[in-house]
Amino acid sequence: MAVDITDQNFINGLIEQERRAQRPRGRWLVVPILVLTIAYLTPFYYLFVTIFKTSAEYAQKGVLELPASLAPFADNVVQAWTIAHLGQAGLNSLSYAVIGGAIAVAFAAAAAFGMTRLNLIGANGWFMLIFTGTLFPFQMYLVPLLFGYQRLGLINSWLGMLLVYVAICIPFPLLVLRNSFSGITREVDEAARIEGASEWRVFISMIVPNAKGPLIALFLLQFTFIWNDLLFSSILANGIEVRSIMVALQSLQGTYSTIGPNVVITATLISSIPTVLLFVVLRKYFMAGLQLGNK
Amino acid sequence: MATVTLRNIIKIYGEFVAIKGVDIDIEDGTFVVLVGPSGCGKSTLLRMIAGLETISHGELKIGGTLVNDLPSRDRGIAMVFQSYALYPHMSVADNLGFGLKISGVSKSEIERRRGDAATMLGLDPYMDRRPSQLSGGQRQRVAIGRAMVRQPEVFLFDEPLSNLDAKLRNQTRIEIKRLQRQLGATVVFVTHDQVEAMTLADKIVVLQDGLVAQVGSPLEVFERPKNQFVAGFMGAPSMNFIDAVVGPNNTIEAGGISLPVPADRFDLPAPGTSVTLGVRPEDIVPEGHGTRPELGADFTAPVNFAEMLGNESLLFADLGGTEMVARMQQPRPIEPDQKIGFRIDGRRVHVFDKNSQMSLLR
Repeated sequence: MAVDITDQNFINGLIEQERRAQRPRGRWLVVPILVLTIAYLTPFYYLFVTIFKTSAEYAQKGVLELPASLAPFADNVVQAWTIAHLGQAGLNSLSYAVIGGAIAVAFAAAAAFGMTRLNLIGANGWFMLIFTGTLFPFQMYLVPLLFGYQRLGLINSWLGMLLVYVAICIPFPLLVLRNSFSGITREVDEAARIEGASEWRVFISMIVPNAKGPLIALFLLQFTFIWNDLLFSSILANGIEVRSIMVALQSLQGTYSTIGPNVVITATLISSIPTVLLFVVLRKYFMAGLQLGNK
Repeated sequence: MATVTLRNIIKIYGEFVAIKGVDIDIEDGTFVVLVGPSGCGKSTLLRMIAGLETISHGELKIGGTLVNDLPSRDRGIAMVFQSYALYPHMSVADNLGFGLKISGVSKSEIERRRGDAATMLGLDPYMDRRPSQLSGGQRQRVAIGRAMVRQPEVFLFDEPLSNLDAKLRNQTRIEIKRLQRQLGATVVFVTHDQVEAMTLADKIVVLQDGLVAQVGSPLEVFERPKNQFVAGFMGAPSMNFIDAVVGPNNTIEAGGISLPVPADRFDLPAPGTSVTLGVRPEDIVPEGHGTRPELGADFTAPVNFAEMLGNESLLFADLGGTEMVARMQQPRPIEPDQKIGFRIDGRRVHVFDKNSQMSLLR
């Protein structure tokens, strides 16, 4: 006998059955998820109660206790800003991160173009050579870099810092861009060449626009890395005029520091604003960065 | 428009000789199709004309000028790729205008040429779209339009229809042919599809293993294939081949039958010599279907298998141990193993030398 689809009860039964099949499973996961969420959010909670306390209040009350009023925040900001020279440090870091990140990604893109499109002799060798840059821990470079910089007079200089960051930020983007450039059909640049495009034109008008997502994502990643770097800047550039924002932050803490944790935490919050903002504004590209290599 | 001349063209990849000395003359305004199975070198040859592959040896002239060492952009060519190779980040309008723009053509001239091409190809409604928003057929037309606006001396097509579905392929095929006539363009078109080659070409170049097997008009190549390879490649289903021996008085003996052939058709060797007999499926006529060939030989065989295509059926039947395909016009249902009488048309068969595989046609 044929199925009777006019029978509403029968259809309702099927609807219910389908719905049950689609219901999310594993409701027992709620408890561990809740625990993890609390563990994850506690530091944020700590941050938000601390920035509203005065130094005296911080010393008296428990660390997780609520502040008496919101007013001390303004004073904390002023203190953090003036004592650590956050303005200067922020500008320094911004210039390192924007210029250094951009130059590094541009160099990596040029190299990736050469490796995927120009039939370079030993293209793979060049790639391996550059990519070894990511194999060793940064700490390994520090000592030779320090002595080298002292000799060259690059220590404590803006240019010196920029150079380090550009160099460090090339290998990873190269790895990614080499992949994503090879993913662009060769026929596209062949078509452009037949139409009269020079190699430079192919690079600028065909390859770069078609790899816009990865290029921006990589720039953001390198920006964040440079902004957050403490290792190189603390060793190579301590002077107030050239130090990065993380070094400035570090200067607030120390054995002889009399500055309360409430100010330090406020400074931390300030220094994390740019990367957070950038992420919020450009999260589309960050997400694209997660699937780097594919368009 | 211009002529294209290839002389002794050789291409070497590493140690592999891909093109083994090819001569082709392409007259002004003709539609030439390079056809052959995959790996025969047809795409390589086209890419050499385009300047996308270097030429290892030989001379390539476009419009009488030696262009071996000229970069693609100075050869006066335009190419339509198999994947269309549209610029994915540009609108249709920019795709059409890119080449003109970078070669410094004035804005008004770009506008005019682009407009002409768009109207001719029916692209006007899509000018602001990105390639990803177009259907396969529309992309194809943009690719052709992009080639047209450059007003090249020679159009190169690299299997441009292979990504289209069957119906669209037939339509586009006709459109391309019509366009070529309208523009009076010189076209070099690469395909592995012999139907495309037959329908489009003024002149077919059949390639085999990096060599030209035959050059000729579609009918010539089909009716008078120079060797067994060309005979087997052109025509679908393929020509049947069966081992045969030359018999007395202009006959060919194969599979237990003696087939009379016209005395003036072949230069037959002495009776008793082994040869290969080639018969196209349409020249094996099932009894009661189509015209009964005057000159021919009959055989009866059970049908192993029948492919019903609607307008015709393909019957697979044994002739002395070799399976032959016969074409049945106005088909009727066939039972498996049903015995059917066939008659081979002696006027239309082909005979090939056993060793050289060359045709013995006079």
